[in-house]
Amino acid sequence: MSAAPADARREEIAIRASADASSRAPVLVFFATAVAWLLFGSLAGELASLALHWPDLLGFASFLTFGRIRTAHLNAMIYGWASLAMCGVSLWMIPRLVHQQLSWPRLAMAGAALWNVGLVIGIGGILAGRNDGLEWLEMDRALADPWLVAGGACVGIPLLATLARRTVDHLYVSVWYVIGAFLWFPVLFLVGNWPFGGVESAAVNWFYAHNALGLWLTAVNVGAAYYFIPKVLGRPVYSYQLSLLGFWTLAFFYALNGMHHLIGGPLPTWMITTSIVASVLMIIPVVAVAVNHHMTVVGRFAALRYSPTLRFVVIGAMAYTAVSLQGMFTALREVNRITHFTQWTIAHSHVGVYGFVTFVLFGSMYYVLPRLAGREWPSARLIQWHFWLSLGGIGLYVVALTVVGVLQGLVLLEPSAPFQRSVEVTIPGLYARSLAGLVLGAGHLLFALHCAALLRAPARRAMPALLEARPVVVRDAGAVQEPAS
Amino acid sequence: MTRVWLLLLGAAATLGFAMVVLVVLPGALLVRIEPSAGLAPYGEREARGRAVYIADGCVYCHSQQVRDPSFTSDVDRGWGRRASLPADYVHDAPHLLGTMRTGPDLLNVGARLPDPSWHLIHLYDPRAVVPWSIMPPFRHRFELRDADAVGPGDTVVPLPAGRVPEGQVVVAKPEAIALVAYLLSLRRDAPPGAAALLDVDSRFWCGQGDEPRLARRGEAPAAETPR
Amino acid sequence: MIPSSVAVVAMVLLLGASALALFVWAWRRGQFDHLDEQSRAVFDARDPRIERPWESEAQRRERERAHGPPLPAQPGEWGGAA
Repeated sequence: MSAAPADARREEIAIRASADASSRAPVLVFFATAVAWLLFGSLAGELASLALHWPDLLGFASFLTFGRIRTAHLNAMIYGWASLAMCGVSLWMIPRLVHQQLSWPRLAMAGAALWNVGLVIGIGGILAGRNDGLEWLEMDRALADPWLVAGGACVGIPLLATLARRTVDHLYVSVWYVIGAFLWFPVLFLVGNWPFGGVESAAVNWFYAHNALGLWLTAVNVGAAYYFIPKVLGRPVYSYQLSLLGFWTLAFFYALNGMHHLIGGPLPTWMITTSIVASVLMIIPVVAVAVNHHMTVVGRFAALRYSPTLRFVVIGAMAYTAVSLQGMFTALREVNRITHFTQWTIAHSHVGVYGFVTFVLFGSMYYVLPRLAGREWPSARLIQWHFWLSLGGIGLYVVALTVVGVLQGLVLLEPSAPFQRSVEVTIPGLYARSLAGLVLGAGHLLFALHCAALLRAPARRAMPALLEARPVVVRDAGAVQEPAS
Repeated sequence: MTRVWLLLLGAAATLGFAMVVLVVLPGALLVRIEPSAGLAPYGEREARGRAVYIADGCVYCHSQQVRDPSFTSDVDRGWGRRASLPADYVHDAPHLLGTMRTGPDLLNVGARLPDPSWHLIHLYDPRAVVPWSIMPPFRHRFELRDADAVGPGDTVVPLPAGRVPEGQVVVAKPEAIALVAYLLSLRRDAPPGAAALLDVDSRFWCGQGDEPRLARRGEAPAAETPR
Repeated sequence: MIPSSVAVVAMVLLLGASALALFVWAWRRGQFDHLDEQSRAVFDARDPRIERPWESEAQRRERERAHGPPLPAQPGEWGGAA
């Protein structure tokens, strides 16, 4: 590729600058509220974890009972932290990729407000005992969900309008993933909330919950990884064809997956078998993404020492591969009869929503926030701490619960073993989980403080953090900088 | 040819969807599920108890499904006499099948633990009856009162000595009583009626030549009872 | 016959059919043409030329051959918004 003429180059930079400027305000609002929910969700999760090994601890208050605080944790993390941060990343990435200013940024801001109102009502309602009774869809469908639908529309419509006004013809693979997610999610959410009865209610419930993972959380974050990994490394993805193959297989086959949550349940065998087959078929998009991400980075792993973005996103991408392969494996009946109904599932979901989704979102925010704030992260050491607390915390979490999950499952399969034993074998894992929760929470607190410090730094330091001309990032204390935008 | 995979992909997708449309949908549209024998809709109090069950998140630790004995130990554990069927859930909206067994399955808890007092004690103070339990206490569904402030209509929870402060008693609120009524109504192990549909996943592991467990236990299917 | 969830089957079909429609649209619009070039859509013209300090000498030379003489990373590089 020959170097573009100087004029074209300057124009490109101007396009990028105007794209960034157009999305700046809504992205900041989404990120700020996402981090607030992250803190709330961490606290709720820790309380829920404590309640499992010290069951009498929270008995004094109805809203702290395990069934409520755990549900508040899930909803705060999925619909608060992850979804809000994903909206922020999407609103930032799409204008850049289609070389156009974000349409109606104020509508997107309103979307953030509406979504947050919905969350407060919905999660407040869960704590007060208003629960729709469907996992992943607990928020009140009359009082809270309309706010979420309106808020989501206020994000999706500007994104689609921006896409319609794009000045490039080709849609980069990240655009496909993000736009796909914003088209799929509203449909899923509406159907998921439809009040079905009987076993159909279960089928629709898991159709929704699994697709919320695959077609919403996964889609946006794989899209983000396809943006940030090449961007930081300065080399295109290893095989662009493969990346598109991955997207389209996900689009075609993922929706069939959800029934594997009901293996052995009172549902038609054909539906569940179809889901198992589709789950195994997911090896195509997963391997496509895994090979691509890995081969793009291979030979340049040293970059992880420099760029916090790359470090989080690459670990996130690895977790995506791991969690997907684990999911396929778990969908096989022989494995599922052991792991179903045990803590294994909880560990698995945290590899996905934390190891993958949250890591990619952290990485994205480490890239995006300084560019929006116009200054660099104040402290490389804080980023280091955050990274190692997150990695250590999730590692402990997953190992502990996976091990006790298998033990629990084996006890449950043994008819002569009293149920008591299946509880007792999990206790060490439950303690370890509470410890892991503390470690993760500490990392989140540092991250939140660091974000606040970045955004509240004195205005006169317009371009100050570039103390080092060299793009030295995580390894050295002091300024944090990345080489390319 | 770089676009061969595109063709293959498109062809596979089309084929898959054609199959679903042609084979599965017509069959699905022809089927209606009848309630299993003796399964009545929830009464007012049971329905209210079910709402409490949902509000306090019981479903996050307790499943309500019994899987086939050849596949799991659910039946041998005494959680039911047979695997559960779609016909067992026709009155459940939303479903409460659950995905965790931090606590035991509850689909037939009404048959297994029929004593309402046990449930009230267990809900107020699980470790008073099950020392190793990690279930949270649901004290907000009860009231602590002075022993002399109990009226004739109150349901006093017969807690073991030492589990409640001296001179006080625990009175169940209406929602606790409703929850217990719901739990006691959970009995879904009547022999399946003629209309029960057995080709469900919980029976998948009954291979050919495998005598279904029901027959082995000598429980001839009863004639369907009209509701 | 067996009971099935008509809702889930219908939803899977709807999602699959819309994906198929999008796929056909994308193909007709030439979204699958010139993929090598398109894979560079994330970059601005200067992006691939900026020095990456972690790269080996060979990698650095390869970058120079493909994209032209290297550019030192500068403050302005990261801050399109600034």
